[in-house]
Amino acid sequence: MTDSRNQKAGAIDRKRSSSDRETDSPVKRIKTEPRGDEQPKYNPYLAHWDEGIDNKDGIVSEGDPLKNFKRRESTAKQAFEAESGDNNPFTGQPHSQQYFGILKSRRNLPVHKQRQEFLDLYQKAQILVFVGETGSGKTTQIPQYVVYDELPHLNHKMVACTQPRRVAAMSVAQRVANELDVNLGEEVGYSIRFEDKTGPKTMLKYMTDGMLLREAMHDNNMSRYSCIILDEAHERTLATDILMALLKQITQRRPDLKLIVMSATLDAEKFQRYFFDAPLLAVPGRTFPVEIYYTPEPEKDYVEGAIRTVLQIHAGESEGDILLFLTGEEEIEDTCRKISLEVDELIRETDAGPMTVYPLYGTLPPHQQQRIFDPAPNPLRKGGKPGRKCIVSTNIAETSLTIDGIVYVVDPGFSKQKIYNPRLRVESLLVSAISKASAQQRAGRAGRTKPGKAFRLYTEKAFKEELIEQTYPEILRSNLANTVLELKKLGVEDLVHFDLMDPPAPETMMRALEELNYLACLDDEGELTPLGAMASAFPLDPSLAVMLISSPEFYCSNEMLSITALLSVPQLFVRPAQKRREADEMKNLFQHPEGDHLTMLNVYHAFKGIVNQGQDAKKWCHEHYLSFRHLSSADNVRAQLKRIMETNGLDLVSTDFNDKNYYNNIRRALVTGFFMQVAKRENNKIYRTLKDNNQAVMLHPSTVLKADYDWVVYNEFVLTSKQYIRTVTRISPEWLLELAPVYYDLDSWEGQKDVKLALKAVADKMRRRAAMKGGR
Amino acid sequence: MASDEDDDYMNMTFGEEPPKPTETSLQRRQRLKREGEIKAHAKSKAVLAAEEREAREAALSKSLLEDAAAKKSKGLAMMAKMGFKKGGTLGSVDNAENARREPIRPEMKDDRGGIGLDSERKRKLDEVVEEELKRVRVDENEFRDRVRREREQARNESLVYAAMKVCERMDEEAQAHAGGAYAEAKVETEAGETAAKKKKKKTLSTRPLKSIPVVWRGLIRRREEAERDRRMKYDLEQSSSTSRLPTYEDDLEEEDDKRAMGKLSTTHAQVEDLDEEDPELDEFNALEAGERLRLLVEYLRKEYLYCFWCKCGYEDDAMEGCPGITEEEHD
Repeated sequence: MTDSRNQKAGAIDRKRSSSDRETDSPVKRIKTEPRGDEQPKYNPYLAHWDEGIDNKDGIVSEGDPLKNFKRRESTAKQAFEAESGDNNPFTGQPHSQQYFGILKSRRNLPVHKQRQEFLDLYQKAQILVFVGETGSGKTTQIPQYVVYDELPHLNHKMVACTQPRRVAAMSVAQRVANELDVNLGEEVGYSIRFEDKTGPKTMLKYMTDGMLLREAMHDNNMSRYSCIILDEAHERTLATDILMALLKQITQRRPDLKLIVMSATLDAEKFQRYFFDAPLLAVPGRTFPVEIYYTPEPEKDYVEGAIRTVLQIHAGESEGDILLFLTGEEEIEDTCRKISLEVDELIRETDAGPMTVYPLYGTLPPHQQQRIFDPAPNPLRKGGKPGRKCIVSTNIAETSLTIDGIVYVVDPGFSKQKIYNPRLRVESLLVSAISKASAQQRAGRAGRTKPGKAFRLYTEKAFKEELIEQTYPEILRSNLANTVLELKKLGVEDLVHFDLMDPPAPETMMRALEELNYLACLDDEGELTPLGAMASAFPLDPSLAVMLISSPEFYCSNEMLSITALLSVPQLFVRPAQKRREADEMKNLFQHPEGDHLTMLNVYHAFKGIVNQGQDAKKWCHEHYLSFRHLSSADNVRAQLKRIMETNGLDLVSTDFNDKNYYNNIRRALVTGFFMQVAKRENNKIYRTLKDNNQAVMLHPSTVLKADYDWVVYNEFVLTSKQYIRTVTRISPEWLLELAPVYYDLDSWEGQKDVKLALKAVADKMRRRAAMKGGR
Repeated sequence: MASDEDDDYMNMTFGEEPPKPTETSLQRRQRLKREGEIKAHAKSKAVLAAEEREAREAALSKSLLEDAAAKKSKGLAMMAKMGFKKGGTLGSVDNAENARREPIRPEMKDDRGGIGLDSERKRKLDEVVEEELKRVRVDENEFRDRVRREREQARNESLVYAAMKVCERMDEEAQAHAGGAYAEAKVETEAGETAAKKKKKKTLSTRPLKSIPVVWRGLIRRREEAERDRRMKYDLEQSSSTSRLPTYEDDLEEEDDKRAMGKLSTTHAQVEDLDEEDPELDEFNALEAGERLRLLVEYLRKEYLYCFWCKCGYEDDAMEGCPGITEEEHD
C-alpha cells in the first residue's frame, strides 16, 4: 500500500518517501500490539533519524518526559505531567520561569477541562469537527494537544494549523512558541505568502490557508503532515473551502492523515454532514451575557446614527470601551474626527469624561493598529467621570482581533464585501448588509470582560427579515479563474463535480474556463498548457502571471515585474483629506502622460533610486505623499516574484531606457495579460468596456491621463453608484489584433458593431501596411 | 453627381481599394448633421446613470447559459466534457441542495440609509398606493349606492320629523281628551293655528323635557333650543350698543335713567333642563334614521293605535285593516 501511494505521489524525493513509510509502521504496530511497551526509540526507521538530527537532543533517553507516550494513545494526564516537568520534552532544555506562569493561565482556559475528551475523539476518528467560541483558547491549545499526541519530532511529520489571515498566523505562532518554551522558527514556526519562518526541527506550523494550498500543488497528498487543523473554518475563505474539498479527498487516500475543522460558530452541523458525519466536540467560550438593543425606526443615515449612539453611550453609560463597526477607511477616518470634535464639546458643556478615538482597518500601519490596545485615558480630574476609548473599525475586529475591555458595541449592520458576478465580469468591493451570524459575532464582542450591551442601528424586524443567515462564503463571491488554475495544478480533473461545500453558480466556472482559455492557460480540451502550468506557479491572478511570463518577449520583464508587484499592494499614493492639492501636485511629479501603470513604475524607480543612494526613503515618501509601507512591501513582493521567474527560466531583461520603444514595449506587454480589460472611448468622457462586458464607464478621477485616448487598458472595474475604470493606460488597437487574435477575432464578433467597424478599419490598415512592406 | 462621373473617368483602379460608399452628398450631409447633433447633445448625468443602470440590469438578469453565445462557449464545452448538463449544478451530487444555480446579485448602495430603510419606505409607499386604489374603487363601484343611501337617509329623516309631529299632535289630543275638553280643544286648534301654537309653546316649555317620551323628545328639544338661541340673539342685539363696550359706571344715575338708557340688562329665565345632559336622547339620536322611524311607528301604534303609513287611527289593538308595520307592506 505504501509503495502504491508513493508511486501516485509521483515526483517526491527519496527522503520524503522514507518518512512516509515511518508513519505507517506505528499505526500498524498499534493495531497489532495495542498494549506493547515498546518505545519509539526501537523503531528501526527512527533509528536512522536519531543518528541524523535528533540524536544530540537525547529525546528518548531515560529521563525523557515523553518516554511513556505512545503516538495517538496518549492521555491528558500524561501530557499534564510532561508539561509540568522541569525539562522541555521537545528541546530537552530546562523550562524557563515564564513558562510556568503561562502554563498556569493556559490551564484556566475553558478548553483545558476537555483535553481528555478531545483526545478520545481525536484518537478514534479521522476527521473531527471542533466548535469553540472566541476565548475558548482553541487556536493556541488544540494544536499543542495534538503535538503531544502526534509526537511529530519522532515521526517527522508536521502538524499544520491554518489561519485565514497572515497577521493571525504570525502572532499565534509567536504566542504558542512562548507557551511551549521554544524559539519561534524552530519547533514552532509559521509560513505566510512572502515569509517562511520554519526550520528543519519544525513540528508545529501555523500558516495561511493559501500557503497550505500552494504547498498542496507540489505535494498532492500533503505527505509532510500527519495532522492538519483548519482553524476559523466558519470564515469560509476561498482557500479554506478548497482545502476542505481537497482534504476530504486526501483523507480517503491517506487513512493516517487526521483532520480537525475548527469553527467559532454553531453551524457546525453543516461541517459534520460534509465530512461524512464526523464527530463534534464543542467547548463553551468564556463570555458574558450581552444585552441587545434595536432602534424603533430604520436609520436615515447610519453613520450619523452611529455617531449619535456613541455619544449617548459616552454621556449616559457606565465605564467601558466602545467598539463601532463601519465599512471603509475613509468613512472610519471621517467618523473618528467627528466623534472627537463632538466629545470635546460634550466635555465643555457637561462634565463628561475624556474619550480617545482610534481607527482600525486592514491597511493601517501596524504601529497604529497597535494603539488600539492602549489603556483608556484617565479621568480629567480626580474623582471625575472615567475616561474611555472608542474604536472605529472595519469587520477585522469582528473575529480576528480581540480587544479586551470592550463593553459596548455599536453595529450599523454594514460591511464592505467582495462580490463577483460572472454576468458583469466585475469583482468589486461593495458596501453590503451583514448576515445574522455576523451580527451575533459583533454583539458577542461586547461580552469579553464583563456583561455588555450591543446597540444595533436597525429594527428587530429588519434583523429578522432582511439579514441573510450566514455570510456568503468567499467562493460564491469570487472570480474563479485563479482557483480553476490552482485546481488543475492540484490534479483535479473533474472540476464540475469537485466536492465543494457550497458549489458556486455554473456560470462562474464557465467564465473562469473561458478566461483561462483566452489566456492560453487551458487548451480547448480543458487541459493545462505549459503556459498555464507555469502561470500557476505564481501567486497571482492568471492575467498578471501570463503578462509576466510573456514579458521577456517584449524585452521588459524587469519593468513588468515591478508593475506586477505594484499592482499587488494597496494604493501607493497617499491623499490626506486636508492636503489633497499638495498630494496631487506631488503625484504629478511622477506622471507619465500615457498611463497610470507607467506613472506607478516611475514612482518605483524614483523610490529605488532614493534607497540605493542611501537616503532616508521613509522621509522621502512622506514628503512625496507616497506610502512607504506599501512601496517596501511591493519591493518585497517583487523579490519573491523574481525568484519564481528565475526558477522558471524566464529571462530578466530591459529595453534601453533611451530607446523610443521603452514604454511602448511595456504597454504592449500589458496588453498580453489585460486584453480582456480594454475600454474604447464612446464620446466625451464616456468609455465602453469591450465584448461581453459592454458597460459604460468613466475614467476614475485618480487617473493621470489628461487627453482622452480612444483605447485604454484598465486594471480594475470599480462598481459604485457610478462605474469607473481605475489604473488606466493608453494602448493602440493594432496590439489587440496582433497580441490577442483569438479574443479579437472579427469573423466571430457579435454585438458592438461600431467597435467591430473600428477594429476592421485597423485590420485593413495593418494589412495595407504589411502589403506595402512586402511589396518593397 | 457630375464630379462623381468625372472621378469615374479619371479613376485608375487599384486592387485593394475599398469599395466606394454608396451615399449621395445630400445623404452624407444629412448624416453628418444628424451625427453632429447627437454628439453636440451631451447626455445629462441622470440619463447616463439611468442608461448605465439599465445596461447593468440587462446584463445581470440574463443567464450566460441561456445566452445564444453559450453554444459557442468553449468554457461550457469543457464543462460538458466533465459531465455538466444544462440546468445542473456544480459539486457533488449528494450536495446538490447547497449548490448555487444563480450567481449572487451585487446590490449597489448609493446612500447611507440604514438597514430596513428602503423596505420601510417601500412599505409606506405601498400603503399609500393601496389606499389610493381602494378609494378609487369605492368611487367607481359604490357611487350609485352611496347616493341612493344618502337620499334614503334624507327621506327617512324627514319621515322621522313628520312622525314626531304626529306624536306631538297625538299627545296633545290625548291630553286634551284626558282634560275632558276634547271637542273644545279640537275647535280651538281648528279655530286658529297661531293661537294654538302659542299655547302649545307655553305648555311645552313648562313641561319638563324628560317627561316627554324619548321617541319624539328630540323635536321639542330642538324647538326649545331654537327658541333659546333666538332669544339670546335678540338680547345680544338689544344690548350690543352698550354692554359689550366698557361702560362708565355712574353711581349717581337713577334706576329709571338706567332703564331709559337701556343699561339695565333684561334677563330671561332659561329653561333649566335644556342645558342638562340627556344620555337617553343622545342614544336615541345615534340610531339610524330608519331605526328611529321604526321605533316611532311602533310607538304610535302602541300608544295611539295610529298607523303612520295608513295615516289613520284604529279602534282596537288588533288594528284591523292595517297591512303591517313597514312601509313596504303599505305599498
